[in-house]
Amino acid sequence: MALEAKLSHTAAIILQALDAGYVYGFSVMETTGLPSGTVYPALRRLERDGLIRSSWESQAVADAGQRPARKYYRITRVGQATLAASQKRYPLLARLFPVPAQEDA
Amino acid sequence: MLRVLHLAIIQTAALLVPTHDRAEWLSEWRAELWYVNRRATAFSLGSFSDALWMNRNISAPIERRWFRLESPVKCVMFLAGLAALSLLLALSLPGDNPAPPTPDGESQSVRQAATAEISEQQPPADIDLNTSLSNRDAHPSSAITGAPLGQASTETLGGDRLALLYAGFGLCSALLVAVSRGTPLRLGEYPVNRYAPAAPLRLLRWVFLAVKIALVVPLVLCAVLTLGPFVPQFAGWGMLLGLIFGLRWTLMDQRERCPVCLRLLSNPTCIGDASQLFLGWYGTELLCSRGHGFLYVPGTSTSWGEAQRWQYLDPTWSTLLP
Repeated sequence: MALEAKLSHTAAIILQALDAGYVYGFSVMETTGLPSGTVYPALRRLERDGLIRSSWESQAVADAGQRPARKYYRITRVGQATLAASQKRYPLLARLFPVPAQEDA
Repeated sequence: MLRVLHLAIIQTAALLVPTHDRAEWLSEWRAELWYVNRRATAFSLGSFSDALWMNRNISAPIERRWFRLESPVKCVMFLAGLAALSLLLALSLPGDNPAPPTPDGESQSVRQAATAEISEQQPPADIDLNTSLSNRDAHPSSAITGAPLGQASTETLGGDRLALLYAGFGLCSALLVAVSRGTPLRLGEYPVNRYAPAAPLRLLRWVFLAVKIALVVPLVLCAVLTLGPFVPQFAGWGMLLGLIFGLRWTLMDQRERCPVCLRLLSNPTCIGDASQLFLGWYGTELLCSRGHGFLYVPGTSTSWGEAQRWQYLDPTWSTLLP
């Protein structure tokens, strides 16, 4: 697939973080150590290319936690395939992030 | 207090985001900021990168549609209406209408130089103060030179014309240079092939361009005449800037139109990627909604593709397009 070869290091790391369970922008930032000015545009680019999909948390859940609703990002099937190809290319990528602790959300 | 500052930074960055995506974009950044407890300023400043990305990559066709002068008739009618309105306003000005000012006062300085030169050529002894001042005070230059009134008027008028010619030439040169800095003067490549329309129809495109220029120039001049008396010190610059922006808009509008039906092109699609370019092409493809052809606008000028290029479509495409 042409898209697999085009994934940059940053995009691969962000995709891996999402796959590891860090599913919103700030958690991806904290995990990867990348600045906000890199992470959010990269998320938009990945979403535009169909590798991830975003969805808003329901307001009821956010209200119950007394916090604003988050925008979550999930990897699509195409994104999974692309990530698998990237992991073959960069074997350490899969071991980069620990599985996140279960959050209240 | 700091939280207000961070929100203000994000709010400012939001101005770069296309309108129809702004609310959701703001909601996400505000929600994310809520979780940030350290280095929040750096986090907030990152919103500018994101907003800029949105600005460059998310098109907003709907919000521009309200001012799209898509049809050529609508475009000409709109410009003619504006020109007529500005002309009416200029004619309704009280008192004498002043001559159109020049941006650098060139006309005035050349006129003064011409007057001084004429006065040097005529011996002062010719001046009969007793008669000339009483008879010729209607025209100061004739009183100075001592020449008959008719002759002096003709000479001064000639000087004025020369000055106006110089000023006009200088203005046109400056105008072309200034316009070419903002947008290329070339309108693109429209190769003629068997699918191209007949020559008279192709000529219509140039007639349309000439009509637009013929309406934009008086529109700017009348606007300057109307507004000039309120800000006389900026009237010259106002005219120059007005003409630059007017001609720039005319050229840009012309480039975005189909050469056959003269309607604005639609469906801009990005092709290729600037970061993946190696002897390849990237840019924007636009489509005529009537199916007359595609326009390829290069993202960067190269030796093999400097200007935009039009491609006529053969009739088989008509089944795919409305």
